[in-house]
Formats: sequence, C-alpha cells, structure tokens
Amino acid sequence: VVLALPAAAAVAVFGSLYGAAARGFFGVPLTLASSLLVYSGALQFALVALLGAGATILPLLLTAVVLNLRHLVLGAALRARFESGPLWRALLAFFLADETFGFAIAAGNAASPPAVGAATERTLLYSGLTLYVAWFVGTIVGVLGGGLAAAEGLAGALFPVLFIGLASMAVLRRSHVVRALAAALLTAAVALLLPDLRLLAPVVAGVVVALPGRDG
Amino acid sequence: MSALVLATLALITYASRAAAVVLLPRPSARFETILSRIPAPIFASLATATLLSDASALAGGPTLWATAGALLATPARSLLACLIGGAAGYALGALLG
Repeated sequence: VVLALPAAAAVAVFGSLYGAAARGFFGVPLTLASSLLVYSGALQFALVALLGAGATILPLLLTAVVLNLRHLVLGAALRARFESGPLWRALLAFFLADETFGFAIAAGNAASPPAVGAATERTLLYSGLTLYVAWFVGTIVGVLGGGLAAAEGLAGALFPVLFIGLASMAVLRRSHVVRALAAALLTAAVALLLPDLRLLAPVVAGVVVALPGRDG
Repeated sequence: MSALVLATLALITYASRAAAVVLLPRPSARFETILSRIPAPIFASLATATLLSDASALAGGPTLWATAGALLATPARSLLACLIGGAAGYALGALLG
C-alpha cells in the first residue's frame, strides 16, 4: 500500500481531470457514478472523448468491449496465482487494473512459494482499494471545479516510471528481459504504424512475446 | 448518456475483469509457464505506451528524464528505487528546462 501511494496521487490527479471534463457531458450524479461503478480511467476518458465527438450508444459499448479485452489477459495471469474460492475472487476482480495487477504480481514474486497466493490476493485488494478511493476522490475534486491541471505533467511522468519499476520486479529470468524489450519495441511500432490500436498494443505485445521459446 | 448506458458499461467492464479471475479453472503447468512470462513484457509495453501521446508523439522532456532515471535504477529490481530514480530524473529534466 505504501508503494501504491505515489500511484494513488497520480490517479487522483487524473481523476480530477476526468471529473472536470466529464461533468459537462454526464452531469454531476452520473460522473460520480461512473467513477464508482466503472473505475477504469482509460475507458472513462475514452467515453468523454467519444461523447465530445457526438458518438451514439453503440460506439460507446464497442469501445468498452475493446478496451476491456486486456482484462482477460491480466485476469488469466492472476488466476494462476489465486487460491481462494470464486466468491472472493469475484470481489477481487473489481479491483483489477493495470497498476493493481502490477502491484499484485510484484508482491507475489517477492513472497515465498507457499505465500504467493495470499500475497497476490491481499495486495490486489489493498492497492485496489487505495487507487479506487483516489480515483473517486479525484473525480469529486474535478466535479467541484478543483481540477489539478497544474500537476498533470508530474502525474503523467509517474506512469512510465511506475511501469518500468513493476517490469523490473516482474523479471524473474534473463529471457524475461529480452521478452520485455521485444514487447516495448512491438508496442512502439504498433503505436506509430497503427495508432488506432495503440491502447490494445501493450497486452497484444505482451502475449505475443510470451508465447514462443523456452525460459532461460 | 443515460443511467442505463452507464450501468451497461459498468457491467461490461466488470465482466471483463471477472471472466478470467472467477470462471477460469486453475491453468495447467504449461499454460502457467506462459502466463508467468506475460507481466514483464506487459509492464514494459505499458511504459512505452504511456510515453507516446494520442498522436503517437514522444512525451515531453521531464518525463523522458524521469524514464531514464527509472531505467538506470532497474538493476536494483525495486519499485522504490525506480520511483526515486524517476523523481531524480524528473527534477533534473525540469531544471534543465
């Protein structure tokens, strides 16, 4: 949870930007409800952009399906570590996000083999709650007109740093470094050549480089 | 956007989160090996994606300095070290202007 606090601060900043931007499209009650019920920064910002462009319901729903596809991959990777029953896993699933996935995987990697499941589940819950509260509080601040735009640059810089740190902790073998570099290059290539697929590129690249070869 | 559309979006999002976590049986050893290879590449990819804006342009100076600082700290394999490296890089980048 302590290591999740910088991420929570950045999430709160973006939550405030979301709240300020969404208020005009959704109204205050639905803006707050969206952060409470959806809890997905990527999707919520995409919704604002789509509504701003005059999109109808179908594009909104299709965007939600496409953007959320990555959760299937992240969830499958976590499922391999989870040991609790389906009801508890159903609760934990709500807190699955890119950042919380990273914290949970890192905690599992740092734990002794018998404690991997418990450490992964506990960290997903605590970091998920921390970021969920930060996102909602940020949204409230934004809705009330207190957007933290001045901190956007600093908050934006935190995410690549956070993901680099999580990547370094997720590396268990030398081959993982090679796969990570290959995935980064693949993502950059997709972002430059097929910008419309930019948001899907990280998960697709992660899966593509994970499939071939042996570990070494 | 209506409350019904919002509820549908929330349902789609939760279903995507829960599908694998709740419904998938514990994977086989072979599948588990492949899944164990996924996190590091995904994080490296997410780091790359966050450095590229909507127009696929590279992020601004301080962010790149922060990234470099975090990369220099990766041999420590510590999130805290990377955060400190990133903060130092960001400060340096902001100073150099």
